[in-house]
Amino acid sequence: MDLATLMSKGLVGPLTAPPAREASFPYGLDKHGLHEIAEAAYGDRAAATGFLLAAAPRPPRRTILLWVTQASTARDMGRVPEAALREATGGKARRLSLVTRHATDALWAVEEAVVSGVVSHVIAEVDSADFTATRRLTLASERHGVPVTLLLPHICEGATAATTRWRVGPQPSAPNRYDPRAPGHARWRVHLERCRAAPALVGQAFDLEWNDETLSLNMVPGMVTGSPAPGEAPPHPGFPNRRTG
Amino acid sequence: MAAANQAALATGIHPGLRFTDARATLPDIAAEEIDRESDRKALSALAAWMVRFSPLVAIEGEDGLILEITGCDHLFGGEAKMARELSVRLARAGYGHRLGIAGTVGGAWALAHAAAEEGQPALLSSGAERAGLAPLPIRALRISEAAITLLRRFGLTRIGQLYDIDRKALKRRFNSRQAADAVTLRLDQALGLRSEPFAPFRPPPDHFARLACPEPLTDAAGIDAGLIKLTEELCGYLSADGLGAQSFLFQAFRSDGDMSAIRVNAARPVRSAEHVLRLFGEKTAQIDPGFGIDLLLLEASRTGPMTAGSRPLSGDLSGNDLDEEALSALADRINARLGEGAVTITLPEARHPVLMAESTVPFAGQDMDGAAPPENLPGLRPTRLLTQPERVEVIAEVPDGPPLRFVWRRKVRRVVRADGPERIAPEWWTHLPPQAGTTAPLPRTRDYYRVEDEDGRRYWVYRDGLYGDGRGETPDWFVQGLFA
Repeated sequence: MDLATLMSKGLVGPLTAPPAREASFPYGLDKHGLHEIAEAAYGDRAAATGFLLAAAPRPPRRTILLWVTQASTARDMGRVPEAALREATGGKARRLSLVTRHATDALWAVEEAVVSGVVSHVIAEVDSADFTATRRLTLASERHGVPVTLLLPHICEGATAATTRWRVGPQPSAPNRYDPRAPGHARWRVHLERCRAAPALVGQAFDLEWNDETLSLNMVPGMVTGSPAPGEAPPHPGFPNRRTG
Repeated sequence: MAAANQAALATGIHPGLRFTDARATLPDIAAEEIDRESDRKALSALAAWMVRFSPLVAIEGEDGLILEITGCDHLFGGEAKMARELSVRLARAGYGHRLGIAGTVGGAWALAHAAAEEGQPALLSSGAERAGLAPLPIRALRISEAAITLLRRFGLTRIGQLYDIDRKALKRRFNSRQAADAVTLRLDQALGLRSEPFAPFRPPPDHFARLACPEPLTDAAGIDAGLIKLTEELCGYLSADGLGAQSFLFQAFRSDGDMSAIRVNAARPVRSAEHVLRLFGEKTAQIDPGFGIDLLLLEASRTGPMTAGSRPLSGDLSGNDLDEEALSALADRINARLGEGAVTITLPEARHPVLMAESTVPFAGQDMDGAAPPENLPGLRPTRLLTQPERVEVIAEVPDGPPLRFVWRRKVRRVVRADGPERIAPEWWTHLPPQAGTTAPLPRTRDYYRVEDEDGRRYWVYRDGLYGDGRGETPDWFVQGLFA
């Protein structure tokens, strides 16, 4: 198939604004293009969601976010409450939600929203997205300047046309300054599995720390990534340990 | 014997006859249970089909339909022609029927029940009720059997005989005031002296457009073309009135008496033909043209005022940087394909338990500012909230220590660090102390903990109840959410 046929089918077209290839972290995740964030292992969906919210665009103005979820994911991993969304985005984004039975419906809705141009960011939680679907969404996203993020389960592998694919897993949290026994700021280990902007960086892992007070995502220096020794809890006299529940 | 058609009447069988008597006349007659429910459904379906003749259709009793055809008859070339067409179509569909047209509901009822014959509609022009109804028997007045018997005893068998009788004298003949009033009321209603309420079985549409096809449509392209024409016409009416509609109903009537209908809804009033057509989209493919469609009808309901605002030149110039109209249009398109109410929005709700402080409702063009959640909620909230709290086996310090180990989704999680408790009490004002005899469990105070396991996964767990709170057994533990 030559270029002319592709253009006539609408698969290839002139871009209104050729996206600058972001060669620095997070490689366009917050600006344009299609990005995939996958769980490192089963049950890491919360970490993946946290990374997505931390790295997602922080709108300067009131904007609308479309959050599409496949019903199976919603049943298994629940939903993101408004409070968490507000905490992470600074309260500017309002969310429209959509739950679909099939991944195809979810991806159709994502494309529809991207093309309409009224939403500032589209997030989709689907079981899988094949190469054709990701290619379509990448093109639509780059043409209309609306970033799309797919949250995928840990079993997702294989080819993708997405700009980046990240794999996110939790790490022991940062030391809590006020209470050594309590968890501190969230930390994640993020693998960059695919990156079209900077292929040389593929395979690199980042240790990130999310500060929910300053809303900043920081790189954790390698020296302190080890789990901080939790302060030994002073023995509590009087109550025996008992199996409950 | 519940009802009798022409053939039965010809053999001398009439409604009200005992079955044994009927069998004596006609030995091979068969008995069957009366299924009033199915009759009612069939009548409703017929009433829905009648919408092609008039938007106002009411169901009368068990076997009657009333059509308000004021202003509709000219579409068919007059009352007589309309009656003939109605008759032909009903006969083709296999319905036995009698038609009466008059200026009043009572008059039309009388004509249909006493004057009309199958295939021979009875017509009475407006104002001629008095003379036209005079020769009809009094049973055509919709009065009770007792009243008919009583009147017949006085020798009053024709409606015309009632005209000249002094009302007071007539009333004295009845043993109750109500019985007498019922007769005079029906008489007055038939003559148009007193008004009669008309209750259509479906509220009439606010606006509608119709397209009769002289040549029946047999393919999807024709239906689409008809829909485009109708939509443009209807949107023209709407914009002339400064209105928009939230609900559109497209009906296609087949020449064999069947019909299909498609409804689309919009989140906020719209009147852009382009948008409405897009909502109908591929749904018109559901319409089976069968042997041809001869009438298309498009109705608009739930209309509301609509202000056509001017579009800002660019997003930077607009005071409101959200294009709410485009947003509703997007929601409508998704709803049209994935089902009504698919797109939802989460709104804050004034509830005490933090998790219930938001409710998810279908997006219906709500003001996005109204969706602004209250600021500064205390406490850390999880990134993901499970659909249902999941019960877990826990080893914890008694009475109020955080869990040390728990099993969630078949895996043992050893807690390394924990934070809490955050105590959230139930809404005591919605749950009064149990009355004697009721055993519904009272909601219990929950202690929430944020715990982290060896792998760094962070959970939101709670203990449902306190030790010794007198509200049940030993408290259970649940995982309710996951932290990033």
